[in-house]
Amino acid sequence: MSAFSRIAQSPGLAVPVLLLWTLGWALASAEEPADDVRKGRALYVSQQCWQCHGHEGQGGVAGNRIAPTRYPYEAFARLVRFTNLMPAYSPKVLSDEQLRLIYAYVRSMPEPPPLEEIPELDFD
Amino acid sequence: MKPDNQPHPAPSDREEPARVNRRDFLSSAMAAGLAATGAGAAGKASARQAADNAQAPGALPPTAAQEAMESEIPHGYSADQAREYFVRNPGSDFMLDVIRRLGLEYIATNPGSSFRGLQESIVNYGGNQAPELLTCVHEEQAAAMAHGYYKVSGKPMGVLCHGTVGLQHASMAVYNAWCDRAPMILLAGNHLEATERRAGVEWSHSAQDCVRVIRDYIKWDDMPLSLQHYAESMARALKIAMTPPAGPVAVVLDGHLQEAEAGNQRLSLFSVSVNQPPTGNEAAVAEAARWLLEAESPVIVADLMARDQEGVERLVALAEALQAPVVNQFGRMNFPNTHYLSQGSTAVAQADVVLGLELFDVWGVINTVRDRVHRDSVRKARPDARVISIGSNDLFTKSNYQNFQRFYPSDLSIAGDAQATLPMLTDAVLSGMRPARRATNAAREARWREAHSLARAQALDEARYGWNASPVSTARLYAELWNVVKDRDWALVSDDGAQSRWARRLWPIDRHYQYIGRSGGAGLGYGAPAAIGAALAHRAEGRFAVNVQKDGDLMYTPGAFWTAAYHRIPLLTVTHNNQGYHQEFMHLQRMAARRQRGIDSSWRVGNELRNPDIDFSRMAGAMGVWGEGPITDPDDLGPALARAAEVVDGGEPAFVDVRCQPR
Repeated sequence: MSAFSRIAQSPGLAVPVLLLWTLGWALASAEEPADDVRKGRALYVSQQCWQCHGHEGQGGVAGNRIAPTRYPYEAFARLVRFTNLMPAYSPKVLSDEQLRLIYAYVRSMPEPPPLEEIPELDFD
Repeated sequence: MKPDNQPHPAPSDREEPARVNRRDFLSSAMAAGLAATGAGAAGKASARQAADNAQAPGALPPTAAQEAMESEIPHGYSADQAREYFVRNPGSDFMLDVIRRLGLEYIATNPGSSFRGLQESIVNYGGNQAPELLTCVHEEQAAAMAHGYYKVSGKPMGVLCHGTVGLQHASMAVYNAWCDRAPMILLAGNHLEATERRAGVEWSHSAQDCVRVIRDYIKWDDMPLSLQHYAESMARALKIAMTPPAGPVAVVLDGHLQEAEAGNQRLSLFSVSVNQPPTGNEAAVAEAARWLLEAESPVIVADLMARDQEGVERLVALAEALQAPVVNQFGRMNFPNTHYLSQGSTAVAQADVVLGLELFDVWGVINTVRDRVHRDSVRKARPDARVISIGSNDLFTKSNYQNFQRFYPSDLSIAGDAQATLPMLTDAVLSGMRPARRATNAAREARWREAHSLARAQALDEARYGWNASPVSTARLYAELWNVVKDRDWALVSDDGAQSRWARRLWPIDRHYQYIGRSGGAGLGYGAPAAIGAALAHRAEGRFAVNVQKDGDLMYTPGAFWTAAYHRIPLLTVTHNNQGYHQEFMHLQRMAARRQRGIDSSWRVGNELRNPDIDFSRMAGAMGVWGEGPITDPDDLGPALARAAEVVDGGEPAFVDVRCQPR
């Protein structure tokens, strides 16, 4: 089940997240400052985001794929702070500024190679 | 059972129609290189194997004195003196005859004095063939090998161990097998007669009730006090172990019975007719068919269901008759993931009738408990969904260990073996299907074909992410492995749950033997030995077995690789080496977040397997297994796997250590 469909089944989250998702899809294209990305990467490692979401944000059975994210910051923050899907990181252990930097790093993660360029994934 | 009520003859009187004379056998075995590799590998014996086997202690020819022992009183002994010192017809020879009659092909063992009588009978009287002893370096490994072997071959393996320290070592693997419904016959040596025990260790290795340590998670046990009692208990043990729900059983081998003269007792051997799996009640099955036909969105969920390919095909027949999606929980390979009706677990959420087949956890299919401070449960299924449960869980269970899961009051509960019941259910569905219902099948098929196609595309798309990452992504691990196995008759002998289920998502799995499910009790130490036991069964079929091995699990039973090398069991093992106990890290992370203490570097404490890093390929090499790694660059993985596959093709185990992403 994708993060989106799980959220859609959570009455308290569905409406605001759906709105933010739609809004964010259009807005989430701006380049992140390089320094923010660098600091965000360090936090992504030190705060152990990679343990469930992978070093490249690719996700897996323990956590959803988060990179490159199309969530607007508000939806991203809501998923980190208030969710049944992952441990709820409160501002006490992860400040708003730290979260913003992690978001910047996650947004900067590059797209993977297209399927056509990966012969190992040609299963036909 | 068919008693063969003939006297058990002394050696000189016995006919051996089904057994090669042991001296002739051993001579020829040495020449052909059979003794250590077993009959399955006979045709592939290499010059190296023959040379090695010529030195194998199990294949030594009898001495002149031993030959004389079997036919005459040794020179210089009176008849009375000979009776004091020599045994012509040991009880354990009969014990072996019983084992052979029951058809056990292998006995996994770590040698021990409490069963030295039977061990000697196996290697000398029986020529170490059918059953062949598998030398293990830990009883947990021996029992886990039996577990894996059953899930491929459908046959129980014997596990021969001390009744005391051996069963204690074996207990974890026995529990896994119990939870996973895998039968095995534990043969536990013990000396009950206190006045005949040697001083010291033989007392420490004896018990009034040695099976007590595992009795909570086996189906049955006995402590026979005579050879005939033993024969009957072994026959009973086999029947009980194999009757659904299958599970481990234990028979205690008394040391005195093994070692003493059997004499000319009239002893009966039995040919056992194993019970046919019980089918569900016919009327209840007919009612289930009506519910399924009335349903708008029936969904089938299968877990520990298919025992063989026949079970898979029976489920395909039912699913196609109904055009109902199948959620395969992969406790066994129940349903081809290439079939358009193979669907993800979200299908349950829209079902109005859920048919559960041999579910490990009915409640957990319908509900979930949220892992937060207040552990409230949430229903995942529709409020009006009706649940039909067909399974053998209620036919046998025990109370102490709670692996039976939370109680769910199914709306229609049918006690019976699901695989055996499926033809009756499918017939009832087909005969009860009216034209109007049949007319909806085309639309249902189109719907599920589209959903299956989308899920397939999504899996391939997701596999791209992290493709070039180091450590290697688990998706790439399985994609590179697929390139190695795709043109071979392959079988995965491990569970991919910790690797984000990439085998199930990427590899076309349509044969029952290609996937053997999980450990059962989630007790670590299962992976390597179960994979090696499964690979042993695949060896007989010439299949290419692959084990994706978790690093933390491997550290419990690494010695299993020595057994794979010694017995030349071809198996490609690739580590999912994430350098830690990752599941436990996530629990620690959840606790730290819940208590608002943060995680930072504290995740390492108690969880990481680094500093020093474990050099698994050297560890494998130290046990005689070809090894390579650690692989950290994903571009190095494919060539390393190709080299390892060549070794496996040559009939040997190979090992590639890969540093991987956590999941």
